Amino acid sequence: MTSEITSINWDVIVIGTGIGGGTAGRALAETGLKTLFIEKGPLGYRSEQNTLDPNISLPQARHARGLWPGQMIAHKNNRETRFFGPLGAGVGGSSVFYAATLERPEPHDLDHSDARPHPTGGWPITFEEFEPYLAKAEELYKVSGEPHSENQTNLRPPPPLSAGDEHIARRLRKNGMQPYHLHSAMALIDGCLDCAGHKCPFPCKMDARSAGVEPALATGKASLLDNTEVTQLITNGAQITHALVRRNGETFSLKAKQFLLAGGAFGSPRLCLASTCEAHPNGIANSSGLVGRGLMFHLNELFAVWPGITDPKPTKALGLRDFYFANDQRLGMVQAMGVNASYGEIAYYFDNLISQSKMRHVPMMGKLSRLPAALASKMLGSAKIFVGLLEDLAYNENRVMPPVVGSDDIAFEYRLHEELVNRRTVFRREISRAFKGQRRLFLSFSPELNYGHPSGTMRFGRDSNLSVLNASGRTHDHQNLWCADAGFMPSSMGVNPSLTIAAQALRTAKAIKETMKNEPK
Amino acid sequence: MSRNDPRILAGSAIVTGAGSGLGRALSLRLTQKGMTVLGLGRRSAALSVIAEEAGRAFVAVPTDVSDFDALRSAFATLKDHPPLTLLINCAAIYPHRDFLDETPESFMNTMAINFGGTLAATRLALDHFIETGFGRILNVATFADLTPLPTASAYSTSKGANRILTRALVADLSDRFPNIVISDWMPGMLATEMGLPNGLSPERSAIWGTELALWHATSLNGATFEQDREILPARGIKSRLKDGLALRRTKPRSLNDTS
Repeated sequence: MTSEITSINWDVIVIGTGIGGGTAGRALAETGLKTLFIEKGPLGYRSEQNTLDPNISLPQARHARGLWPGQMIAHKNNRETRFFGPLGAGVGGSSVFYAATLERPEPHDLDHSDARPHPTGGWPITFEEFEPYLAKAEELYKVSGEPHSENQTNLRPPPPLSAGDEHIARRLRKNGMQPYHLHSAMALIDGCLDCAGHKCPFPCKMDARSAGVEPALATGKASLLDNTEVTQLITNGAQITHALVRRNGETFSLKAKQFLLAGGAFGSPRLCLASTCEAHPNGIANSSGLVGRGLMFHLNELFAVWPGITDPKPTKALGLRDFYFANDQRLGMVQAMGVNASYGEIAYYFDNLISQSKMRHVPMMGKLSRLPAALASKMLGSAKIFVGLLEDLAYNENRVMPPVVGSDDIAFEYRLHEELVNRRTVFRREISRAFKGQRRLFLSFSPELNYGHPSGTMRFGRDSNLSVLNASGRTHDHQNLWCADAGFMPSSMGVNPSLTIAAQALRTAKAIKETMKNEPK
Repeated sequence: MSRNDPRILAGSAIVTGAGSGLGRALSLRLTQKGMTVLGLGRRSAALSVIAEEAGRAFVAVPTDVSDFDALRSAFATLKDHPPLTLLINCAAIYPHRDFLDETPESFMNTMAINFGGTLAATRLALDHFIETGFGRILNVATFADLTPLPTASAYSTSKGANRILTRALVADLSDRFPNIVISDWMPGMLATEMGLPNGLSPERSAIWGTELALWHATSLNGATFEQDREILPARGIKSRLKDGLALRRTKPRSLNDTS
C-alpha cells in the first residue's frame, strides 16, 4: 500500500461508503477534517449502469459490478434459505442502485405519545430536534417533491404527474385519500435515465457516491481506499487504536483519531463481532450484548394497479400516507415502485407463490409458472406496481450472526412475529380500501421481507445496557468509535430509511467534529 | 437506437486491416460518411494510396496488430483526432496450410494476427469507450469455426476464438455498459486476396458492413449478421415455445430496411 495512506494519522476513518458513510464523510471533509473512506468494493467506472442482478453469482463478477460478493444465509422461522441479497459493495454502497426515494419519517416514528405509544419509549432524540438534519439531508440530495406541510419550503418542485398517475390519484382522492408526489433525489438533468434500480452514469441521481463520496473527495481533504476490507478493529479498552485492513491480499494497519462504522446494518455489527480479543471476547462495542441484535426489515406489500391509461414509461411519483398509522397500529406508507412489471419480475412472483405453497413438491411446477407469468406480463404491462412498506419492530432474537473468517456470506436469524402478521392483515385491508374501485392485484402472497431495508443492529439509546450507541451515534463503550448507518435505528419506521440515515449521519459528523475541537491537539 | 448514429459519426473510427480488400472498402465508405478513419495495416504504401484517394479524413497508421506495443502507439495517435467511437476488427490472414505443414510457431503467428490483434485492439478501444460509456465494435467474422475446411486449421481456430471473445465480452460488459455495443458480421465470400475470384465485390459488402457499424442499439449487443441479415442463435423447440409465450422478438433484422 502507498506509504502515505498508511503513515498518516487520519482524523477520521470512515468504514463503508453507503448513505451513512458517504454523507458523514462529506460533512467531515467539508469541515476540514482529514478523512479516509475505506470501501470493500471497487470505485468502478462512472459510466456503468448495471443493476443488483441476483443472477450474477461468481464472487469476482459480483465484485466487479459493485455487488456484495457473498450470499445471504437466512434462517427465517428456522428454515434456511440462501440467496444473493440486494446489497451493494462499491463506492456508494447499495445506494447507487436505489430508486432515490428520500421520504421523511413521521413524528411518531421517533416520539412517544399516549395517542401513539412508541414500542421503545421513543428515540433518544425528538422529531423536532431531528428535523433540521432531515432538511439539511434533503438539500444535499437535491430532493424534489410535494411538501407535507406549508412550512416545508426546502424541496424542489416535482415534475407534473403523468396521465396514468393523475387518473390513479383522482380515484384515490374519491376514496378520501390524499396522494402526493413522492420525494425523490433525482436531479432530473437533461438526458436523465430514471436510474431506479441501476447505477446512474450521470451526476443526476443523488446517492452516496454523487452526493457523498465525490463531493468529499473534491474538497481535497478526503481520500478513498477501495477494494479494501477492514478485518478487525483493535482497542486498548477506552479507544480504538487502529484498524487491520486487507487490500489485494496484503494486510496492514491504519491509524485514526476517530473511527466511524458505516458498513450497513449487516456490515457494522459483523465487524464489531469479528473484533474479538481477550478483553472483549464478544466483540467490541458489545458490553450490552446487543450488537447485531434487533434486526428489522420492512415487509413489502406489492400490488398492481391498472389505471386504464398506459403511460409511455414507468413512473415513481405517487405516495400515500393516509393509513401510515391506523387502527391504533403502526403500518407504513405506500408508494409507486417505478419499475415495469417485466416478464422476469412477474415470473418471480408466481414462482414465489408456488414455492410457498403445497404445489412446490409437484415436479416442473416452477417451470409451469412461466406460462401464466407470460400471460400476466402481457396483462400487467399496462399496470403500475405499488409497494406498501410495513414497519417491522425490533426483537433481540432477530440478529446478524458473527462472520465466518474468510467468508463474505451474511448469516442472520429472523422470526416473523405474530403481531407483524396481524398488522399485515390490517395493512392489506387498508390498501384495498384506499384503492377500492380500481382494478388491482396483490402480488405478495406470504409476508415478504425487504432485504434492502435492514436496520436496528447497532441501536442508539439513552441506556447503555439497552443500546449500543448513544444519542450522537457514538458507541457507549469506546470514546472514538461511532456508527452512522441503518444499524442505529431503534425502530424501522414506515418509510424508506435512506433520508433518516443521511440525517443521523450529519448529526454524528457534527458530534465528531465537536469532540475533536475539544480534544488537545 | 439509431441507424447512421450521429454520435458514432461525430467521432473517429479505427479500422484494422485497412490496407486492402474489405478493410480498405470499409475505410473509404466511412470517410464518405464523414468520419475520421484511422486505418491500421502492415503495408504503409497501400495505406498511403488510400489516403490519397480519401483525403484528410483517412489517417494512415502503419501498424502490425500482432505487435501490441505498436498497437498501443497507434491508439495513442487518437489524441490528435475526435474521440474514438468505432472499432472495426478486420485484420486477418488466411494461410492455406495442411496442419502437418504447420509448426507451433506458424500456427500461433496466425493466431497472433487474427485473434491477438482483435483481442488487443478491442481491449485498447474499451479504455476509450468506458470513459463515456459509449462505443461500437464490429468484428468481421466467419462461420469457418463451425466446419473447418482442410488447410484452414489456424484460420478457423483464430476466427472461432474471436466469436467466443464477442460472447465473453457481452457477458462481462453488456449489463454494465449497455451503450458499448459489440456485434459480429460475416461479410460473405468476397472477391479479395483472401476470398474467391467470383466472390462479391468488397465495395458492395462494405455498404452493409458500414450500415451495421454505424447502427447503435443496445439490442445489437452480441448480435450476428451475415451480409445484410441477422442470424439468430439456433434455438430448440423448448426455447422457441418460451420465446413465443414471452412474446420475444424472433424475426431477424435486415440492414436493407430503411426504418
